[in-house]
Amino acid sequence: MLAITLLIVAALTVLSQLAYSRNEQRLLRVRTRAAASLLTAAIPARQAALASAAQLADATHGNVAKFRRLIAPELSGASVISISLWRQSDPAAGPLAVVGTAPKLEPAMGASALFARAGVGKLAVGGLLAAPSPRIGYAYAIPGVAGGYVAYAETPLPADRRSKYQSSSAFADLNYEIYLGASTRPANLLVGDVPAPLHGRTATVRVPFGDSALTLVMSPRGSLAGTLPQALPWIIGIGGALLAIGAATVSFGLVQRRRGAEQLADRLEVAAAENRTLYAEQRGIAQTLQHALLPAVLPTLPGLESSARYEAGERGMEIGGDWYDLIALEDERLLLVVGDVSGRGLRAATTMASLRFAIQAYAAQGDPPEVILTKLSKLVSVAEDGQLATVLCVLVDRRAKALTVTTAGHLPPLLLDAGGTAHYVECPSGLPIGVDKEARYVSRTVPTPSAGTLLAFTDGLVERRGESLDEGLERLRLAAAAHHDGLADLLSTLVVDLHHGPSEDDTAIVGLRWTN
Amino acid sequence: MTFNVATDEHGGVVIAIAGELDIESAIVLQDGVAAVLAGRPKRLTVDLAGLRFADSSGIALWVRWAGMVGELHLRNASPLLRRVITTMGLSDRLGLM
Repeated sequence: MLAITLLIVAALTVLSQLAYSRNEQRLLRVRTRAAASLLTAAIPARQAALASAAQLADATHGNVAKFRRLIAPELSGASVISISLWRQSDPAAGPLAVVGTAPKLEPAMGASALFARAGVGKLAVGGLLAAPSPRIGYAYAIPGVAGGYVAYAETPLPADRRSKYQSSSAFADLNYEIYLGASTRPANLLVGDVPAPLHGRTATVRVPFGDSALTLVMSPRGSLAGTLPQALPWIIGIGGALLAIGAATVSFGLVQRRRGAEQLADRLEVAAAENRTLYAEQRGIAQTLQHALLPAVLPTLPGLESSARYEAGERGMEIGGDWYDLIALEDERLLLVVGDVSGRGLRAATTMASLRFAIQAYAAQGDPPEVILTKLSKLVSVAEDGQLATVLCVLVDRRAKALTVTTAGHLPPLLLDAGGTAHYVECPSGLPIGVDKEARYVSRTVPTPSAGTLLAFTDGLVERRGESLDEGLERLRLAAAAHHDGLADLLSTLVVDLHHGPSEDDTAIVGLRWTN
Repeated sequence: MTFNVATDEHGGVVIAIAGELDIESAIVLQDGVAAVLAGRPKRLTVDLAGLRFADSSGIALWVRWAGMVGELHLRNASPLLRRVITTMGLSDRLGLM
């Protein structure tokens, strides 16, 4: 009987160790994929920004001032330090305009080879630019444009390819390496946080990066599921064996077996708890990404205050397709944009990023909103990729004291005057973007009250199951009219009061407030 | 989300959708009816009586179908969905009944 009990304990120990090992590998794969999705998601936004810059240059025959104005906000993070505009056919002449530091790309050598690969609808990725402060460069040109322009950006890499470990990161318990291309040769290492290469348990994920790829390798710093699961197989083994030898009876064997089973059940509970943590973490990553794809700062005009909020719904495990933007134009005008791409996840986010940057480019080249929306209609096709988007444009003209509203199937904006009256600015709706490539749009212009507030939002704020949309719109109208505090407070109150429930959609809301 | 494909007395196709339609279930639904739509039916009726919830992925799906069949009709849409489709300017294109 002692032998049987020992056997059972040994079997439990082995099973437990196997389960632990499998669980750790699974967790590592999950975490590596999550990190890869961060990498993957950062790329479309970068590509969209360069694409809109190239498009603007093509449309304005290389207008340098407009290029600078469009691209300057892209340098706000540390991930890009140089963006330049080049003539695709004449790289030897050097850049026409540089924002940030001078590019390291050799006009005579590297540029011509790199630009020859641009213009195929994805980023042309250059090799590593040399020490002492290495960089990686990538270029974009609009496909099919002869004599067009190339937008080119460079991202700095740490000199020793070692990044400082950030303890606040969601991946603080993992070591990582990122290689350029599909191979993990030392020469291809872009960045890592410990001396390469990683040893022990590793997981590798490859993500496309323009016409090249990035290879992400991760390995755990310790146990991913916490220290208790790591120790549990040994606790079961050692503790169980001692007990079995001390009291080798049938009854005790049964107790021991049950205890082993209970401990395994506990292990499963630990794994389930870990899953819940991962869920929360994935949600955090989705929100981080979402914010990275939205404007970091909103432009301001004298006498015009602006504020925005983005709130992920309970479905917010993935990035949503809602966005907002506020674009400063010439002559004291602002273009407010709110949009919503159908679906979720990376595809929706990619479409959202390209629409957002396309609107910026069209607006920068002087297109009015109805023309912008018609041009957007050619970028998305529900028949080809199953996506459509609703977009609302409100052009705010400070001097003319007027608002021009244009909508592609989006909910109308709410206008509050100083007296506390609130009404929706209805406008004949055109089709959502993606339904018809030849869609046409009309604008409606209304005078602005001397002091007032404009709110534009996405459907998550007003849609509730089991009621009509009109009830939701009326609830928002009354809540906004009853509020008399600051603009940021108003948005927070509306989001908190109106956007709740277990399966609500994401919500974006932007407010503009002007005085006299 | 569950769905059911049938034909009506005039030889048109009826797709009845029940439950909740979001991005994941929209993909399942699209795959499930691909063969039916490949036959380019002259008339497609989409019955939403059992549909508790649909997000814009569902609407995108129906717009896609509208381009693949002779005529499309949406019937038994909830008040919320009706208003959303009307706001999007899609009630004619989707044959909202």
